[in-house]
Parts: sequence; C-alpha cells; structure tokens
Amino acid sequence: MQNLLKLHNIHTHIGQYHILQGIDFEAKEGEVSVLLGRNGAGKTTTLKTIMGLTPASNGSVHFFNQDITKKATYDIANLGIGYVPEDQGIFGQLTVEENLKVAIRKETPEVMEKLEYILELFPDLKKFWKKAGGNLSGGQKQMLAMARAFVNDSKLLLIDEPSKGLAPIVIEKVMEAIVEMKKQSTIVLVEQNFLMASNIGDTYTLIDDGRTVHRGAMSDLIQNEELKQKYLGIG
Amino acid sequence: MNQPALLSKQNIIFVLLLVILVAFPFVADSRTLTILLTQIFIFGILAMSYDILLGYTGIVSFGHAMFFGMGAYTTAIMLKEIQPTIPVFIGSIVVGMILAGILSFFVGLLTLRLKSHFFAMLTLAISGLLLVVAEKWRSVTKGNDGFTFRAPDVFKDRIVFYFCVLACLVIVFLLLRRFVNSPLGRVLIAVRENEQRTRSLGFKTLHYKVISSIVAGVIASLAGSLYAISLRFVNTSMMTMDITLDALLMTIIGGVGTLVGPLVGSVVIEFAQHYLSGLARNYPIFERWIIFFGIIYILAVVFFPKGIVGSILAKVSKWKQQDQVPLPEPKERLK
Amino acid sequence: MDLLISLVINGLATGMLIFLLAAGLTLIFGLMDVLNFAHGGLFVWGAYTGVFTYAYTESFLIGIVVAILTGILFGFIMEKLIITPVYGNHVQQILITLGFMLVLQEMIKVAFGPNAIPVSVPTYLAGSWEIGEVIVIKYRVFIIIVGFIIFGIFHYILTRTKIGLIVRAGVMNKEMVQALGINIKRVFLFVFMTGASLAALGGMLMAPYSGSIYAEMGMEFAILGFIVVVIGGMGSFSGSLLAAILVGLAGSFMAYYVPFLSLAVNMILMAIVLIFRPQGLFSMIRREST
Repeated sequence: MQNLLKLHNIHTHIGQYHILQGIDFEAKEGEVSVLLGRNGAGKTTTLKTIMGLTPASNGSVHFFNQDITKKATYDIANLGIGYVPEDQGIFGQLTVEENLKVAIRKETPEVMEKLEYILELFPDLKKFWKKAGGNLSGGQKQMLAMARAFVNDSKLLLIDEPSKGLAPIVIEKVMEAIVEMKKQSTIVLVEQNFLMASNIGDTYTLIDDGRTVHRGAMSDLIQNEELKQKYLGIG
Repeated sequence: MNQPALLSKQNIIFVLLLVILVAFPFVADSRTLTILLTQIFIFGILAMSYDILLGYTGIVSFGHAMFFGMGAYTTAIMLKEIQPTIPVFIGSIVVGMILAGILSFFVGLLTLRLKSHFFAMLTLAISGLLLVVAEKWRSVTKGNDGFTFRAPDVFKDRIVFYFCVLACLVIVFLLLRRFVNSPLGRVLIAVRENEQRTRSLGFKTLHYKVISSIVAGVIASLAGSLYAISLRFVNTSMMTMDITLDALLMTIIGGVGTLVGPLVGSVVIEFAQHYLSGLARNYPIFERWIIFFGIIYILAVVFFPKGIVGSILAKVSKWKQQDQVPLPEPKERLK
Repeated sequence: MDLLISLVINGLATGMLIFLLAAGLTLIFGLMDVLNFAHGGLFVWGAYTGVFTYAYTESFLIGIVVAILTGILFGFIMEKLIITPVYGNHVQQILITLGFMLVLQEMIKVAFGPNAIPVSVPTYLAGSWEIGEVIVIKYRVFIIIVGFIIFGIFHYILTRTKIGLIVRAGVMNKEMVQALGINIKRVFLFVFMTGASLAALGGMLMAPYSGSIYAEMGMEFAILGFIVVVIGGMGSFSGSLLAAILVGLAGSFMAYYVPFLSLAVNMILMAIVLIFRPQGLFSMIRREST
C-alpha cells in the first residue's frame, strides 16, 4: 500500500527552542501508525507540524504526494486531515450540535449520512446533543473531538493521546471507536498507554529528543524488550 | 565585561559630546538655540524615564504625563506660594518626586498585575481622570488657563538654567545607566523578554515592575519640574496625552531599550517640531504636524522597531561579526 | 417618578451609544486578541462623514448609511494596513493602533476643520412626548430602539448562523477553528469590518444626541468603550450590552445626584471589576492562559 503521509527530516523551532531535530515518519493508507516516545520527545509537536500549527523550519511533509509543508493550517485541514489535539479543543460554550456544525464544511447528503453513522458510533453525543461541550465528561469530550475530526471526508486522522486522563473502561470504548474509524480513514496516533498502542497499532515510530530513532511493525516492538526499556521505560 | 572600561569608545564619545554642549553657550550666542537645547534636554530626561518602562521592562503606559504634570504643578505651586528661591525650587523637585513616587506606586500596584492591554488602557483612563480632576480643581490649578509664577532669579539668565538642566540630564543618564546595568535592571530585561519564565525562576515580577514604574514616574516628575521653570507657567496641558505621546515618539524613533536612543529621539523630534511649526506660517497643512509624526511613528513601529540607535547598534555588531574579530558573546541578558 | 424615568432614559441612550462602540471592541479583542486603540477613530469618522452627508442631502437616513459605509471601508483599510503587520505582538499593536488613532483624529481636522460642528435632530425625530408628568425626548427613545434592534440582529447572527458559530468558536479556541479547515484570517477581517461599522454608526447616532461633533470625541468615547469591555468581559457580546447599560445608567444617575463622582464612577467601577473579577462580570472565556 502507498504512503498517505510522509515526513522527511523535519525540523521545527518554537520560539528559540529547537524542538524537532530530524523526524522521519510514514503512514500507510488504511493503517494505524503510532508515534511513541517519552514525555517531551516531540510527538505532539510532530502532529502540530503536520497540521501547520507549528510550521517546520526544515524538511518536508507530503500528503498524497503533495507537498504540504508550507501550507496554511486550514488548507491542510481541507485536504482531508482531521486533528484531535491533546486537550481535545472542545468549544466549551457551544453545544455538542454546534461543535459539530462548526466542523461540518458542507451539509452534503454524504456528510449527513456520515454524521448519522458517527452518532451511532458515539451514542452519548446524541444523548447530550444540546449540552454545552464544556460540561461533558472527559470521555465524552474525547468522542466529540474525534467525531468533529472525522465527520468530513477525512482521509487521515491525527489523534493526540486519546486515552489521557480517562478511566480504563472509557479507554476501551475509545479504542473500539478508533478501530471502527480505521475502516474509513488512515490514523496517526500519539499514545503513551502502551497497552492501547500495541493493541490497535499496525506500525510504530519511536521518537526521542526530537529525532526518529526506530521504526517498524508493532508486532516487532512488542517482542523487543530492549527497545521498550530504553525508550519507553517499560518492559 | 560587565564593568564598562572608563575609557571605552562609548565613554569617549559621551565626554566629547558633553564638552561640546558645555562649550556651546560660550561659542554660539543664539538665544533660540539655547532655549531649544534646554527643551531637548528636558524632554530627553522624560523620554529616558519612559524608556525604563517601554524599553527595559516592556510595558506600555499611556499615563506617563500625569507624573510629568505632577512635577510641574508641585514646582509651580511651591514657588508661587512660598517664595521663588533656589532652596524652595530644590525642595519642590524633591516633593514632586516623592508625590510622583507614591502615585506611581499605587497606580503600579493596581494595574501592573494585568496584561499589557489592560495596563495600557488603565493608565490611559487613570491619567484621563487625573486630568479632569486637575481641570475641575480650579482653585489650585487654574484649569486649562493655568497660571504664571516667578522662577528663582538666577534662572533669569537662560544660560544658567541651560547648565542646570544639562547637569540634571547627565546625572539622570548616569544614574539610569547604572540602574539598568545593575542586577535589578537585568531582572527587568528578563521580565521584558519573558515574564513567565522570569516568574518561574522565582522572581516576584510584580515587585520589579512596580519598582520600574516608580523609577520612571520619579524621573518624569523631575522633567516636569524643570519644564515648568523653563516656561514659568503651568496649565493642565502638561498632563495631557500629548506629553505621553512625545515621550513615546522620542523613545520609539530613537530606539527603545538603549537610553541613548530617547535622547537622540528627543533631538530629532524637537528640531522637527521647531522646523515644522516654522513652516506652518507659510503652509497651513503643517499646523497639523501631528499627522506627520503619527505616520512616521506608525512606519517606525512596523519597519524600524529598533529605532535609530538600535539599528545603528545592530549594524555595528553585524559588521564586527563579519570582520571575524573574536568578540566576546553579546552580553548575557540573564544572570 | 418622572425624574427617575428621564434619568433611566438618559442612561439607556448613552449606554446604547457606548454599546455600539464596545460591541466591536469586545469581539475584536475576544477573537483576534487585539485591543484596538484606534476604534474611537472609526466612531468619529462615522460621525463626520454621516453628518456632512446629512447636511448635504438633508436626509438623516442617507447620513447613517454613509457613516456605516465609512466604517466598513476604514475597517478594511485598518485591518489590512495596521493590524495584520503586527499581529501577535501586543506591545507593537498597542503602539500602532494608538498612533493610527491620532492620525485619524488629526485627519478629521484637516478634512472637516478643527472646530466643533453643530448638528440638529431631524424634524421627524425632534421634540418630545408628554406622558402624564413625564417628558420623553423622542431622539433618545430612537437611540434606545436602534440599540436594541442592533443587539437583536447580532445576537441572532452570533447564535443562529454558521459564521456566528465560527466567531464564537474562534473566541474560545482559534487554533482549533483553523484545524477544522476555516480560514480564520477571513473571519478576522469580517469581524473587524463589522465592528468598525457599528462604531461608525454609534458616532453618527451620537451627533444629534450631543448636539455637536468634534475631533476629540472619538478618544473620549473610546475610553468609555474600553471601560465597558473590561466590565462586560473581553469577548462577550451580551456582556458588553449589559456593561454599557450599567455604565450609562451610573453616569446619568451620578451626574444628577453626585456630580463630583460622575467623572470617577466609571473608573471606580472598572477598578473594582479588575481587582475582584479581572475576567469581567459576564465573561465567556475562562482565563486559563494567554
């Protein structure tokens, strides 16, 4: 299968800090690619750089063989990339319905159909349709954020730590949803919870100090105690 | 490297300039020019005090004129009500500075916790309020009509006053240079560069900002006292936004955060003002010279944010680097 | 009783004029993080272009339309020329918008002369009604009605239309709005021009109310606008209406009962709000980080 997303030697500065110092990364169509690494390794910044929120100072990002390194965030989003930030980015004073309305680009029959499908996937959202986003529980916020990213024709979803701060039972639900969404979209996942990552990930990319240090199939990493110990502190 | 050598190039230039300025009244016998230079010195002091706020601490105040006005009124009232002698004059400067210090302490405490937007807005509002109070309190201030008073007799000689102001300028300049190079001044610069980080390093940034605003307020009051003497007249226009804007303009055009910049700015603005108001006699459009300053100022903020002195300094250090002369690292801002 | 009613009407009318100015300020601040010190310039330009058109055509209505168009045009120029180049830099923003305010104010004097210009109320809005003991001045009621209509229209836009949703979402989280595929810069321009047109309308409506217009009125009213924005909460549209009414009423009552305090009352209100509730009385943003 072809590479949907390809990052080549990405360098990113935030202010005076050199955060990413050579990230290489690929995401194949139809797979779940997981970015792994310690806190502060640069996983979140990598996603932000893909979205153009912290533009790369060097290197290139290709999406469908198109160079998107220098594109504006909204252009990148409109190419079909959905983004779920670490803090979920819910508009707290808007209702669930309004949050989704902001996201929906055009109310075409396909999109409305997809919205129906999403609401079946996340029944809670339908239940709290008129509730303010800020008053949802952590898990519901996560689902709303994923729904918002997914509702347009998103070919690629970037999801930043969906399990963060959630109860194990809720994490399971989120995982199921991601597996379901994988049928329609390619997924890039940042995840600290190795159990979750190893369960749903197809490939992994290890990041350390802003650099890509290792890549491969998830099944290989599960076997490799040394790598896990060295970069993730588990094993 | 922190202690500038006594005979550094910089100091030699300063001393040379000072010699020229001291010799000036004896060489050139021009009353207009003497008065203009005196005015430049006074506004130079005011602009330097503003630079402490804007250039060194990174805060924009729109209320600086209230301290200037406070100094002007204190001196005027004391000279008129007590007697026009030198001791009273000196006393009035001190009283004005104390009052301005107290005022800036409270204003600072109330407003400096806020982010830049709010601070600028609040200082604008507070100084606006004080202006209205001054205008209504006619028994003391005589409102917009103002009042004249007698200055100490020595100052009847313009040249004596010229030297008095020049001395004040030199003293203020040396003191402020000392201040910004002191550990306290370093913290202020750190606040300007990144307030959050400075706070996380354990500095109570509010304290430092209040100190900065007190220093600026006190010096502005001194400038106000001198200004009142130079005119032998005060009115409420000395507390208006125009005064703050003059200081702002001089600082921006000269170069923020350099101390020398505001002085250069003062020279440029005062000469330009003098020249343009001369032109206005023939071409009425120049009566609205604020427009030209406004436009220059906007262009300066966008394209020339370092100002005259800042840009020259940047050029010089770039040129030196290209010359491959092994220079010490640019002065560390922190520590 | 009649005194009370006329004080209330006075306060409401003044409040509505401040509201028209503050509404734009608060939205521009909430969405773009820009405190526009030149907003008063739009107010005064609206007043002058409107009044001169009104004098020339003898139609108050055309004057209003011209004032609004002036606001839109100036808003466009200002956003492109003054705001965009320094976007994200607070200190430069404050400096440059204030500089532009001065240029606008002085340009008024060049274009229309430095003296105050008297303005009369159009005949069909002049005079007053007598209801029992109470004398109600028609033009003040007119201002109040216009204010409420404007509030109604914009409240509808903000809560019921897609662009309104986007603006509200942008006030809460700009980055996310962009990540959802929306060009926030276009939204900025739209909001800025709308806010500018409201300020210009406010200036035009102000003219017959105060009876004369002069170049400095822009800055004077802008300060009231800032106070309202602080009290109402940055970025809160409804908050700015409530705060404007509060400031208007406080001013009108104090001017009658405690004239000395009338100058200070708004400042004191603002200081209290800033000390005890810096996010404003009716704020919609929770103050977490910058």
